[in-house]
Amino acid sequence: MTQALTQYEVIYESLRSRRQRPVVPKGLDLVASRAGMLLSHRRNNLASLKAQATRVETHREHARTMSDGALDDALARQREIFMRGRQDRDAVCLALALTREAARRETGEEPYYVQLIGALALYHGRIIEMLTGEGKTLTGSIAAPLIAWQRRHLHVFTVNDYLASRDAVSRAALYKRCMLTVGAITQETDPGERASIYARNVIYGTPKQITADYLRDAIRMGQSHSPWSARQAMLQGAAGGGPLIPGLHAAMVDEADAVLIDEGVVPLIIARSRREDEMAKAYREAADLAGKLDEGPDFSIDHVHRRAELKRRGIDRLRAMFARLLSHGGEPIWRATRRGEELVRQALVARHCYINQHQYQIVEGKVIIVDEYTGRFLPDRSWEHGLHQAVEAKEGLEITADRETLARMSFQRFYRTYPFLCGMTGTAADAVAEMESVYSRPVTVIPTNRPVARAQWPMRAFRTSRDKWAAIVDSIEHVHQQGRPILVGTRSIASSELLSTLLQSRGLNHQVLNANFDKEEADFIARAGQGRSRTNSDHSAAITVATNMAGRGTDIKLDDAGRQAGGLHVLLTEMHSAKRVDRQFIGRSGRQGDPGSAQIFVSVEDDLFTKYMPRLAAVLRNRPGPAEFRNRGLLGTLFRLAQRRAEANDRRNRANVLRQDDWVDKHLPGVG
Amino acid sequence: MSERATFSPFWHRVRVMRPRLRPHVQITRQHYRGRRWHVVHDPSSNQYFRLSPVGHEFVGLLDGRRSVEEIWQVGLQRHGDEALTQNEVIQLLSQLYSGNLLSTDATPETEQLLRRGRERAGKKAAQQAIGIMYFRVRLFNPDFILTWLEPIFRPLLGRVGLAMWVVLVAAALASILPHWDRLVSGFDSAIAPTNWGWMLVVFVLLKLWHEIGHGVICKRLGGQVPEFGAMMLVLVPAPYVDASAAWAFASKWQRIAVGAGGMLFELALASVCAFVWLNTPDTGSLLHQLSYNAMLSASVSTVLFNANPLMRFDGYYMLSDLLEVPNLSQRSNQMMKFLLQRHVYRVKSALPPTASLSEAVVLLVYGVLALAYRIFIFFSITLYLVGKLFAIGVILAVWTAAMWFFLPVGQFVHWLATHQSLSEFRARAVLTSLLLIASGLLLVGAVPMPDHRRASGVIESLSRSGVFFHADGFVAEVHRRPGERVQAGDPIVTCVSDRLSAQVRLLRAELEEAQSRERLARTRNVAAGQVAAQYVASLQEQLAYLEERETLLVVRAPQEGVIVGGDLDQMIGRFVRQGEPLCAVVEPRSLRATATLAQQEAWIYGLSPDSYKVELRRASRVADIIPARFERTIEVGDRMLPHPALGYSGGGTLEVEQRDQSGMLAKSPIFKAYFTALPAEEGGDPDVLFTAGGVPAKPGERLYFRFTLPSKPLAAQWLDRLQKLLQGRARI
Repeated sequence: MTQALTQYEVIYESLRSRRQRPVVPKGLDLVASRAGMLLSHRRNNLASLKAQATRVETHREHARTMSDGALDDALARQREIFMRGRQDRDAVCLALALTREAARRETGEEPYYVQLIGALALYHGRIIEMLTGEGKTLTGSIAAPLIAWQRRHLHVFTVNDYLASRDAVSRAALYKRCMLTVGAITQETDPGERASIYARNVIYGTPKQITADYLRDAIRMGQSHSPWSARQAMLQGAAGGGPLIPGLHAAMVDEADAVLIDEGVVPLIIARSRREDEMAKAYREAADLAGKLDEGPDFSIDHVHRRAELKRRGIDRLRAMFARLLSHGGEPIWRATRRGEELVRQALVARHCYINQHQYQIVEGKVIIVDEYTGRFLPDRSWEHGLHQAVEAKEGLEITADRETLARMSFQRFYRTYPFLCGMTGTAADAVAEMESVYSRPVTVIPTNRPVARAQWPMRAFRTSRDKWAAIVDSIEHVHQQGRPILVGTRSIASSELLSTLLQSRGLNHQVLNANFDKEEADFIARAGQGRSRTNSDHSAAITVATNMAGRGTDIKLDDAGRQAGGLHVLLTEMHSAKRVDRQFIGRSGRQGDPGSAQIFVSVEDDLFTKYMPRLAAVLRNRPGPAEFRNRGLLGTLFRLAQRRAEANDRRNRANVLRQDDWVDKHLPGVG
Repeated sequence: MSERATFSPFWHRVRVMRPRLRPHVQITRQHYRGRRWHVVHDPSSNQYFRLSPVGHEFVGLLDGRRSVEEIWQVGLQRHGDEALTQNEVIQLLSQLYSGNLLSTDATPETEQLLRRGRERAGKKAAQQAIGIMYFRVRLFNPDFILTWLEPIFRPLLGRVGLAMWVVLVAAALASILPHWDRLVSGFDSAIAPTNWGWMLVVFVLLKLWHEIGHGVICKRLGGQVPEFGAMMLVLVPAPYVDASAAWAFASKWQRIAVGAGGMLFELALASVCAFVWLNTPDTGSLLHQLSYNAMLSASVSTVLFNANPLMRFDGYYMLSDLLEVPNLSQRSNQMMKFLLQRHVYRVKSALPPTASLSEAVVLLVYGVLALAYRIFIFFSITLYLVGKLFAIGVILAVWTAAMWFFLPVGQFVHWLATHQSLSEFRARAVLTSLLLIASGLLLVGAVPMPDHRRASGVIESLSRSGVFFHADGFVAEVHRRPGERVQAGDPIVTCVSDRLSAQVRLLRAELEEAQSRERLARTRNVAAGQVAAQYVASLQEQLAYLEERETLLVVRAPQEGVIVGGDLDQMIGRFVRQGEPLCAVVEPRSLRATATLAQQEAWIYGLSPDSYKVELRRASRVADIIPARFERTIEVGDRMLPHPALGYSGGGTLEVEQRDQSGMLAKSPIFKAYFTALPAEEGGDPDVLFTAGGVPAKPGERLYFRFTLPSKPLAAQWLDRLQKLLQGRARI
């Protein structure tokens, strides 16, 4: 049965989703909602999920002995039940047993017992934590048919386009067997085809693609609120065609913590360049002025919140400079002192808080933002309200035209629009509170199939970064000599390059994986698990220096030599601002019972520490003593505290974005 | 962030909108502290918004043709730095939009509209619940009444009327002040339960009249009065009118006039009542009582509520207009929060609600006073209610406590926990607050504080004799004067009685004659002699009687002691009758002070006399402290007061049985504690017991006791008192 959607239906469903105004509960409501969630999901707690998974197991033999035809019939019957909304717990268990069997026959992989637990939890709308390498994709694909049957359209969010199209193809047979249509939306997908793909049951895609289409729909539909007026607006509009997405029904999010939380607050913006760019000169002049001010007497910089505050003296000096500029044919904007000061403050922030190869990199004369969490380039993003231009002015590049927002939606708000949301990730346990309060989704930690055999080596803390880097190189050399593959995590492109030169000088062969080398990513990852070959002594063990690019979603497979030598050693050269990111990175080793080890190196000169514990950092730095701190326990606690502060700060920012979103939704007419 | 950022990330939401101000919206111009403001009034919902000139210009350009972006650009060009920022525009639009003052080109979103309606209704219900003490019911639109009344009052609503009002009130005051005593004594009968019903009736009518005052003046000045209703003001029904149309009046004096209207009318009526009261007989006249009621409630309610700017009644709005500080209460709260943030939490980025120093001072002063008053009134209302109506009182007290105490505290905690301007300083702010609270609690809960209790009592004498005249006569001579010490039998006053002495002389003469006759008769006849002898005997008897009477003209001290009484010299020449009191003789060594304590205050029972100190003051000389020593207590069961002055009916503090004529029978058993003067070895002077300032005490004089108990933390003291209070008031 194909589900042909009339255009009216598409419009209607699209509008229905648009009218959803999820509001985050506050105050007592929040307490009540969390308590309610706790109670309602008590039924589906781990023990109960295990019991259900055991029941699924009881259907296993029966399903195995079915003929292909019988299996199809059984699946069709279950689908019918789900479509009618008549499914009870037994039906869910049976259906899962059938999709599991279908998966075994179509893909050759049979989900383990723990994957059944995960699939059940997903079906119940939970965020599951499954360690890397435990088969999240397979888990998702056996739960997906149940959800898609019941809710008609399921959007499966993947980390990148490659995974989206790969999964859509590799699971196609399974979905076909379950009488579901599947498609993938990627950057390359032709706009003309998109509507037909969105009409399918299971749609794979990246958050960016699907959210952008949803936003474009909003622009296309204008401010209409009834299907008829929307239709009319579209007929009148030049674009033609209806909305692409027939409503938001269900979503399954891979790497849920990254997508829902870290990137959740980044707004997706559809913008067009402003025609006028007479501001270009003003940005340059602001950058000049910012260079003339002195930090301390004239202004202070708040690195945590990335803002600059002008002091009395700075303001007076600026006023004088404005006057001089005006008399020498400067921009008229300097006449308005408040606007002028604002521009200069922005220039100061661009100068002191945004550093090349950390927050951005200059590629072919353009400022390209580097994503803080994934370490990847974000080529088509730009900072808002002139910050981008200020950075360009600082670097002396050509200044691009400021962009004008047409529509904007934070991912956070987008996901909240889904009536059904589930997700999976390797590190959800650290984000329970936010998942519960923002998305009203409880978190379940799924036990591992095999015990983790990774050794966590004690953290090493140093007084200066020079000492730290020296120790890191020593440590790398030491582990390398054992023939073990090493993955070194760095926080910025700049430090990965720095380490690369250090290793070079020691004559250690290594590969560098950062945003500049994303083409070679697959090769590097494939090599990253190699140990020293016994047969060929030229083939030394792999050393991979990587930014966070390698932190998530990469599957580093050990070769036999590597495994025998003791598995992958992960070395973090800095603590990240969120514990989850560290855990993700460390999770590259010791997968599926493989041996492995991990160690973190920190110094009190690290960004994290100087930003969030500035006073203590100064004290520790200036106290005489050995290069390495002896009291690891205390230092570990202090760094963890700094990390907590960073996490709290990020959380606060996210809460603010959320509040603003809600406020705007509540108080302004229209949608979008 | 203290700087106004020009751009907003949400600008795209409003940029292309072409909203139009709804045509029925009225805008008036007002001046506050020399600055121009514009008040936007929506008559259909009776909502008001205040706009700055720049905001007003922006709103003025919302004509449905220009887009928000265009209008914003116009503002930028015209005003430069002063222009609204994008954020401010969004704020402004959202306010207007939420108030339904804007029509947008977008079709209204039904759900959003409905939700707004629901939220408003919910908010209103919540407000009702919070202000159960001020429960409001909307009744009808009083416009037709006011339209009819306004022309009638019109001649009076002007300068002439005001002048007449001043004359009237001044005349009433001038004529009633000489009768202050009567006024005060009338209070007792006014608060007597029999008058409560009348009091209520008068109060409601008076307030009706008061509201007519607001309404008529508002109407006269061109405002609409769309709502009339009743509100429960601390369990007493009071009418109200919605004269908020006055907020849009351009002149502050007009606004003040509307605010004052109610009190002007009320006081005028009270003045008329004053004349009625003066010209009606004192007893048994209902009119007299009613006019007294009107005067009382007009003056009391005016002082306590209407004119009081610390509560949100007429006085508040008048003060707010007079000072030209709109939203006085709300902004003074903001001011206090600002000061807290800036100086206690050290949040540098905190912004004061006003830039003007004088306004800041006004806000601060008002804030502090209002807070203090709020706390005061909360406790007094609660205690009053608990005392009067226990069940309802406790419920209301708990409710008020919740709303007036826990709600603000909760709001404060919420503010502390979530307010954005604190976000970076939250840890410090919370820590500082906790420290402050902890030190406050420590102070209250652990630091011993002096504990004082008070009681009233009376001076009693154990040895006291009244001195009376024993014979009719004129006072001729005073031998001893009050304050002088006398021995038993010492003459105090000598009277003369011409009649008595004439009678004595007559009798003596008659006796002489009779004796002569007897002697004569005896010589003649034995029988006649016997008769005559009998006659003589009877005369002698009569004479003895009269002579004894004569000695009684000298009034003598019946016992040893000090004379207590009025000025005896003034009695010289006065005719006194037998049995008339003259003075008393009191033995000061046997005076004692009796403290009476209601049962629930009987903390003194079981407390060792050494553990507390007592200070005594006499009602006539409260400045002097008299040392005294505890003697013994008499506990429960006894309801007899030592003196009527201690009971309600005698002006005391203890409730007495109303049936009892003497006024000495307490409603519930009392404790009595006796105190005597310090013995000589402890520095006391028995002769001058309870003497203060050289004036000896008189039995029956009222005393004030102040006990200093061992120091205890305040919390323990309060708990103790509350417990006693509940026990007593509620009679659990």
